Amino acid sequence: MSILEFNGKQLELNEEGFLVNPSIWTEELALVLARQEESLDQLSEDHWAVIRFIRAHFLENQAAPMVRSICKSTGIPLKRIYELFASGPAKGACKLAGLPKPDGCV
Amino acid sequence: MPEFDELEARLAALTEADFACGLEVFRGKLTAADASYLNTCVHCGLCAESCHYFRMDPELENIPAAKLKKIAMVFKREYTTVGRFAPGLVGAKAMDTDMARAWVDAVFGRCSLCGRCSMNCTVGIALPRLFRAARAALGAMGLVPSDLQATVDTALQHGNNMAISKTDWVETVQWIEEELQLETGDPEARLPLDRQGAKILFTVNPREPKFFPLSLQASAKVFWAAKEDWTLTADNGWDLTNYGLFNCNDQEAGALTQNLVDAMVRLGCETLVIGECGHGYASARWEGPEWLQQEYPFKVKSILELMDEYLREGRIKVDPAKNPKPVTLHDPCNLVRHGGICEAQRRVLQASAAHFIEMTPNREHNFCCGGGGGQLAMGRYKGRRLQSGGMKAQQIRDTAAEVVVTPCHNCVDQLMELNKEYKLKVQIKTVAEVVADALVS
Repeated sequence: MSILEFNGKQLELNEEGFLVNPSIWTEELALVLARQEESLDQLSEDHWAVIRFIRAHFLENQAAPMVRSICKSTGIPLKRIYELFASGPAKGACKLAGLPKPDGCV
Repeated sequence: MPEFDELEARLAALTEADFACGLEVFRGKLTAADASYLNTCVHCGLCAESCHYFRMDPELENIPAAKLKKIAMVFKREYTTVGRFAPGLVGAKAMDTDMARAWVDAVFGRCSLCGRCSMNCTVGIALPRLFRAARAALGAMGLVPSDLQATVDTALQHGNNMAISKTDWVETVQWIEEELQLETGDPEARLPLDRQGAKILFTVNPREPKFFPLSLQASAKVFWAAKEDWTLTADNGWDLTNYGLFNCNDQEAGALTQNLVDAMVRLGCETLVIGECGHGYASARWEGPEWLQQEYPFKVKSILELMDEYLREGRIKVDPAKNPKPVTLHDPCNLVRHGGICEAQRRVLQASAAHFIEMTPNREHNFCCGGGGGQLAMGRYKGRRLQSGGMKAQQIRDTAAEVVVTPCHNCVDQLMELNKEYKLKVQIKTVAEVVADALVS
């Protein structure tokens, strides 16, 4: 567990850097997570397209989308997803979109 | 720290009946050989240097013999005469809340069940068997770390450990088929689904369709090149993982193995082929028949053995010049030390890459990456997992390789984290990805 200082508030991250409470996520917070967790100083339009899609999917389905849906919906090719998020779709993109860590070998 | 509190809450709620239940499961796990092992450790300490936890953090608690001692204490108290009547004389201790906490810390928190300690053991104790017996006992007391248990529960409920729906799985397979057709220029290239009577049923790790389908595409490309008669299944039985190996609940492990058996019987395939996964191979090939208490009516192979056969029989051709960067190989514990698949991946890589460099030590003496034994699923121990992986990071650095290949998706994920944590600046690939890149007609 660690604490992230954000806008004068103390937000809890779990041991793996995922938000403990996914509902407190904002786009501003995504930027802070990007810096802290993925060493990304800026987020491009492509980053945002992926993050926003994952977030919307999560709010609707309470789960991370398949990478296929991410590619089909954003029009971003698969290999580019891995370039955008060095830690991959789960530990990179889903973390920035404020999702809980998925189960399984990730 | 809520997660630790959550475990503490479970510990605090333990009753005498829970302890009795745990001990009954523990007793049921012990064979005569195990009982003898529990009386055998001579505390020589040679196992210390074999444990990646101890090597990266030389605390007494990290020595395998010290972990074993906690288990032996309870064994002596419960099952030896002197231990029962004069526990102080033989260092025997009863199972209680403190002991349960110590067991959780030892066998879930400081052990990846990699078995490297057994290689150093002067008296040949099969330590992982005893650590697994302790995990099973803790499971019976409801003390499996919640995120590890959630992975098992998801697989039991959904037929795969990432809760992927049939529609999502099938659409991903179809998408990868389109990608494969584009890549090969062959409109007939297929990822067949539910082909009745195919020779091979191929199984994958759910993280492939969910997040990393390029490895599935690579495996399919190798099958395409070899003109293999293969299929995937749309229904349960496509997920090769079995986290029952890690929570050590044989009933749950057996139920997950049954998914594979049912798919094989349903489709009438000859050979179950396990994709690149250490624990999945050990589970399906070696443990499954034990869990189910029955022999399979089919063969089980790793895709590594298959790729090795294709090369030997000339069914595929590769040009190593297509993989010019120096490549090293990480041996997954469950596939190599526990699974016995040792040389196939080496022959395949030597054929497919221009510069293959062995890590030191390697094969059955290799060190765990730190992600085994369900460690990747247990968030609370992340710090220890990354620290213990320092051993692997140094091994990788020493090879000066630019590409680290490993036939295990679980190891891939840990290596990706080590890559970031230790700034290794390497690429991480599966064996099939290297072979697929080297294919020539």
